Amino acid sequence: MATRASFENTNEIGVFASLTNSYCLTGINRSENFYSVFESQLSQHIPVIHATVAGCRFVGRTTVGNRRGLLVPSTATDVELAHLRNSLPDSVVVQRIEERLSALGNVVACNDHVALVHPDVDRETEDVIGDVLGVEVFRQIVGGQALVGSYCKFTNMGGMVHPRTTVEDIEELSSLLQVPLVAGTVNRGSDVLGGGLIVNDWSAFVGLDTTSTEISVIENIFRLSGGQGNQMGQQSNIVTNMRSSLIDQLS
Amino acid sequence: MEVAQHPTTTGTLPTILCCQCATPITPNPSNTCPSCLASTADVTRGISTEATLHQCRGCQRWHCEAGKWIGCDLESRELMTLCLNNVSGLKQKRKDGSGGGRVRLVDAAWVWTEPHSMRLKIRLTIQREVVTGTILQQSFLVIFIVRNQQCIECQAAFRQGSWKSLVQVRQRVGHKRTFLYLEQLILKHGAHRGCLSIETFRDGMDFYFPDKGKAARFISFLEDVVPMKVKSSKKLIGTDDKSNVSNYKYTNLVEICTLCKDDLLFLPKKLARTIGNISRLVLVKNISNVIQVIDPLTGQTANIESDAYWRETFRPIITAARTRLTRFVVLGKEPVFLERNHSKKAVGKKQRSKLASVTAARECDLGLNDSQMEERSHLGYLMKSGDVCVGYDLTEAQLVDDEAEELRTSGKLPDFVFVRKLYGGVASGESDAAKKRMFKLQRLDVKKGEEESGRKKKKDKDADMENVDEEDFMQELEADKEMRTRVNIYKSGVAKGGDNDEDDNDDDDDQKITLDELLDNLVLDSKPDDADMGDDEEIEGQAVFITDGERAAKDNIGYVGREDALHVASKDTAVPVAGNSWGKKFMDDL
Repeated sequence: MATRASFENTNEIGVFASLTNSYCLTGINRSENFYSVFESQLSQHIPVIHATVAGCRFVGRTTVGNRRGLLVPSTATDVELAHLRNSLPDSVVVQRIEERLSALGNVVACNDHVALVHPDVDRETEDVIGDVLGVEVFRQIVGGQALVGSYCKFTNMGGMVHPRTTVEDIEELSSLLQVPLVAGTVNRGSDVLGGGLIVNDWSAFVGLDTTSTEISVIENIFRLSGGQGNQMGQQSNIVTNMRSSLIDQLS
Repeated sequence: MEVAQHPTTTGTLPTILCCQCATPITPNPSNTCPSCLASTADVTRGISTEATLHQCRGCQRWHCEAGKWIGCDLESRELMTLCLNNVSGLKQKRKDGSGGGRVRLVDAAWVWTEPHSMRLKIRLTIQREVVTGTILQQSFLVIFIVRNQQCIECQAAFRQGSWKSLVQVRQRVGHKRTFLYLEQLILKHGAHRGCLSIETFRDGMDFYFPDKGKAARFISFLEDVVPMKVKSSKKLIGTDDKSNVSNYKYTNLVEICTLCKDDLLFLPKKLARTIGNISRLVLVKNISNVIQVIDPLTGQTANIESDAYWRETFRPIITAARTRLTRFVVLGKEPVFLERNHSKKAVGKKQRSKLASVTAARECDLGLNDSQMEERSHLGYLMKSGDVCVGYDLTEAQLVDDEAEELRTSGKLPDFVFVRKLYGGVASGESDAAKKRMFKLQRLDVKKGEEESGRKKKKDKDADMENVDEEDFMQELEADKEMRTRVNIYKSGVAKGGDNDEDDNDDDDDQKITLDELLDNLVLDSKPDDADMGDDEEIEGQAVFITDGERAAKDNIGYVGREDALHVASKDTAVPVAGNSWGKKFMDDL
């Protein structure tokens, strides 16, 4: 089920929140509306945490993470880091990265197994991403855009890429990530998927302008359309186990 | 850091769903299918489709901005510019980024309107970026309502006593040739621009101006072309002590020197000595801001500066009016070469070679007696036997200067002084010579002053005198090449090609008027110089019929004719424009 949300009248909710399978960060808003959207959907399963990075509320763009860890840029203060460590489950590793491209959310796209990174990030950063998040790291561009975190979004279930990615590139990426991919849009035709779409394996949030057509595409590719949680879990299991054979058949 | 790279165009693009109607489409910048785009976006938003233009009924000019009026034809490029400036929302707002600017004008065409409807219609085609990277194009009609408004110049012309500054130009002589010449100079240089009205008086003209500056400009023009002195005065009309503002009317009396071209002078001794020890009996060759004189017997020339003249004014001994000129017939000539006199200012080599000793007889004497006279003349090179020229007959004249009269009676002055050679029909004495002249002149639009519109008998006499002066002036022009270069002369209906009837051996005659000196664009049917009164913009005569769209085609502007105009929709549907390259900012090129 994808939920529409907006942050203080903007549709780019991905800027102000980040979501993984084990936690959710939201930026601090004047009202609690934005937070409560996430809280109502997720608080039964995972912690939903107010956070800032370097005093700024666009946590979605500055941080990147998955089930195992969270990376924050070097601008994050010690207090913020301590707050994140206190609030997140113990299993989640929080790590600060010395990286020139500090908007980690824009330069890294990842799920629990694979990460795509901007071609220009440091080799050390690449190593840290691989270690902390426990993923294989690939330097890639998507649809001619180097900011992979902004222009593609994928989970363990599936992924969505920039609409101008060629069919050949989609196939290549899809075999790399081992998840089905589709080209699509959010927020009434916007191609900035990272800005308009927040998704994990069982829930999704999209900008308020997103049309029903776009939502249906999102729900299909991210496998959100199933009703119950355990059903989804089963489906997810099947997908996880049979993924390689399925993709071989598809391609 | 590279933010937007150009996509790799190799490879096939995927099919995505239109974000609104779920139609499969290839991705475009808005990721929306064309029909959805067109139905949601109004490209013409914020652009007015009706505007008002003001036109002055008097001079047919259009109000452009801040009290400025420009003259332009219907369907012209200039009028289109004016119209487009009046469409609000078309231009990008400058400082504040707000405002629905960001519109690219692709095409503008005239649409036919009924001439009396007081409407102008144009069809605009614009492009606007509706979503980042998506450009829609739409055509729509803009209707302009033409309203009448009198322009400032016309207002001033209709109002009584609206002039602020008056220039009275006067010359105290018995003829009007100087003013005829001045009129031509004014026309050539457009010096009367900004003038409210012009009146003629018995010995001069009055020029009325709306402000002091225009009058000052006119006076400085006069300073350049004639020797003159000016006396200014002002009259208080009203004053506002509190704000220290006064309203004056300025009157400038410009007095032109009494010497005219072809006048015979007897110079004061002192003056003659200072300007190159020239002989005291000289002819005025030319009047500009200096007085140029020539000694008819030696060809020596000299200039009298304007201020030198005004320091000690003198009058000509014979003024060049037709009544004082005698017609002579040339019987023969003999070139004369002067010996060089080193004590005198040298006579130019060119002038010396022009000198000739001419034998002539009065035209009235021919057939009656055998009296002949022989005299040197600076015009000698022009003459050949049989030519007719005019000059002063000093044997019969009565001179006003005592000293000169004494010399004359003692026979120390030449018998005659040639002034100019006559050409064409005038020389052979044809009665309609004036009509057959191959050139004509433009005239200023002048009013008669009150003094002149007096009794009828006097008026008739004045008119006669004026015709005589005009004819004199024409003859002067005909015989002086240099003078012709300073005025605009136009072809008359008589002028034809290959009209060289008597140019057999006249190689020396460089003063004769030739056809290629003449301009050919004087509209003969129009009133004298009416369009030029208020402004320099020429307005085409209303009598000229222009078919619809002709002018637009000339200016390379689209035109929707009368038949098609019925079918022009006030707003077409918007269509997306292809060819916008990804990543390139809309209107980057502006």
